[in-house]
Amino acid sequence: MDGLVIGVDLRDACTRISCREPDKTWVIPTVICKNKTKDEWYVDEEAYAHTLVGDGVMEDKLLTQVIKDGTATIEGVRYEGLFLLKMFLKKALELPQKEAGDAPIESLVFVIGELNVRLMDGLMYCADFLQIDRSRVHVISRTESFVYYVMSQKREVWSNQVGMFDLSEDSLRYYEMKVQRGLRQMQVAADREDLEESFHLDVLESQAGARLADRILCSCADRLLQKRLFSAILLTGKGFDNTDWAPEFMRQICSRRRVFVEADLFSRGALFKAEDSLQEKSSYAFTCLCEGRLKTTVSVRVLARDRESQLTLAAAGDNWYEAKSTTEFIVTGTPELELIVAPQDPRKKKLVKIGLSEFPKRPDRTTRISLSLGFSGEKTMIVVIKDLGFGELFPASDRVIRQEVSL
Amino acid sequence: MSLILCRQEPVKHPYYIEHLGVHIASSQELCYVIYNHPLLAMNGFVDDRLIAFIRGELDQAFLAGKLEALRQSGEQPDELLIAILQECDYYTGKEITKYRQKLAAYRKMNAAEFTKETADYYFSLRQYGTAIHYYNRILEDWRIKSLSDEFTAKIWNNIGAAYAGIFWFEKAMTAYDMSYNFQKSMDTLKRIYQLTLLNPQLRLKDRYQSLLTPERRAAWEKELREAGADTDAGKERLSQIDELFARDPIRRLNGAGELLEGWKREYRKML
Repeated sequence: MDGLVIGVDLRDACTRISCREPDKTWVIPTVICKNKTKDEWYVDEEAYAHTLVGDGVMEDKLLTQVIKDGTATIEGVRYEGLFLLKMFLKKALELPQKEAGDAPIESLVFVIGELNVRLMDGLMYCADFLQIDRSRVHVISRTESFVYYVMSQKREVWSNQVGMFDLSEDSLRYYEMKVQRGLRQMQVAADREDLEESFHLDVLESQAGARLADRILCSCADRLLQKRLFSAILLTGKGFDNTDWAPEFMRQICSRRRVFVEADLFSRGALFKAEDSLQEKSSYAFTCLCEGRLKTTVSVRVLARDRESQLTLAAAGDNWYEAKSTTEFIVTGTPELELIVAPQDPRKKKLVKIGLSEFPKRPDRTTRISLSLGFSGEKTMIVVIKDLGFGELFPASDRVIRQEVSL
Repeated sequence: MSLILCRQEPVKHPYYIEHLGVHIASSQELCYVIYNHPLLAMNGFVDDRLIAFIRGELDQAFLAGKLEALRQSGEQPDELLIAILQECDYYTGKEITKYRQKLAAYRKMNAAEFTKETADYYFSLRQYGTAIHYYNRILEDWRIKSLSDEFTAKIWNNIGAAYAGIFWFEKAMTAYDMSYNFQKSMDTLKRIYQLTLLNPQLRLKDRYQSLLTPERRAAWEKELREAGADTDAGKERLSQIDELFARDPIRRLNGAGELLEGWKREYRKML
């Protein structure tokens, strides 16, 4: 590989950047500092130094600012949240680039908590700003990063269910994944649960608080793991940088199970994904069903050589943000479009019909359409059908039908 | 319902079909023309220019090669059309068989019938000049072979309609007159009368006067008025003019120029 391969775990509080060659992870607060008098921007320690000296103004909660379309005014100049994120990523990605002798970025994967379209679009704009081709940039969920991390380990780690606790500054989450071996292709199903029992890490500073936190985790583990068979339990997040405060919890989860602590799990999972996306054929030969991936296959019936077959437009396991497609068809028979929506459960398979009566009436097979599919989430598909006519014989009307389909 | 997946065809220079006055830019459009205009397709449609279009623009080198091989081996021209339909996968096997039968039926026709079909086809395309040419060819054959009175009357009737289509009313009157000689049809008489309404300088022959009762005259006059106002083409043209007059003067003038140019083109095509 000529360029850098990078996985970035983005959070409002801190950002972890994992890189291959040099094999290193940088952990920096997700803040950006602007010099009050010059057009200079700083991150990491520099940001704090300039703020303390008083010649810089610091901005935090950069992801929330993008999601909420927020702005910040620094020395009378108004900056959009997206611009601040662009500057932050520019400076943050310079850290591995400097170490690698200013090598260009060849593959970049961002991991974010909630797959918010505005934030995902924002990250793509950041890629444009950083002059990284969009095809080399991916945005995935923490659940997917967890899957990539686990599946890149030895087989015995993922031969059964794998559970993971993520204890960060202000949240406690439980992730679980299972490998299902089918006749056709291996399937990995993973899920995430935000636990109501979350607590702030400040409580660990007192002995009583730590004991309480330990009890909370024990009760969660008891409820979530039960007596089920797990091939591994993983612990990640700032709360598990040190596990001495949770002796009971550790005893409970270590009983007849392998337990791993990995602080950079999400950024490293993203790194594995970034490496894989450079391969012509994926090393991860499985269908991934998790947050950020479609759980439904969408297809249409096509006629070719007198035979009807199904053409898949989006398949279960595809990244919904990237599963955009535009295909041109000629409509035969009744002027309507039939989409076959097939979830994992075959009993829930349904036909979605979209009438094309708004298009001009023409003889059979003389309406060409452009069918574009996009997704605004795992469960919402946006269908855009454009009338292309049939050359000069039946000119296009330029009419467009747009419909949202619940999956 | 099903869909047909469109091939990616990087057509930069669409293929012009003069008789239809349209450009085609896909293999599906080519098939549509071949299938719906068999008489046009049967008349030397697959030539070097079309084969070059198939190879260069539709990116179907295999089909182009196949067509060239069929031509060199002296295969029937109809087989070339069938090869295109089969290769482009726009029509089903059943439809292609039906088309093949249609071509065979045309080929089985006697010369006069086939020429009439061809002439009628051009008439349907409003290419009246070409239609008249083919109708006249049938009548020239008539000097050699005998045609039935009914058939000859139809030919003259169609010639009359074609001349009327290009506003050559005197010629149209002569043709209808000939048609009436062969078959005493009220329909022909109606057209003769309506021609005199369209061009008041035309005079009705005395032999028709006694047949034109006041009731018939009134009914045919009414029919002509209604026909003029009710056709879709007529309505479309009126709406075009209305739209033109709704614009500001500069755009109106430009639009009028374009409209007139279009009409001229259309009229020239008729001749």
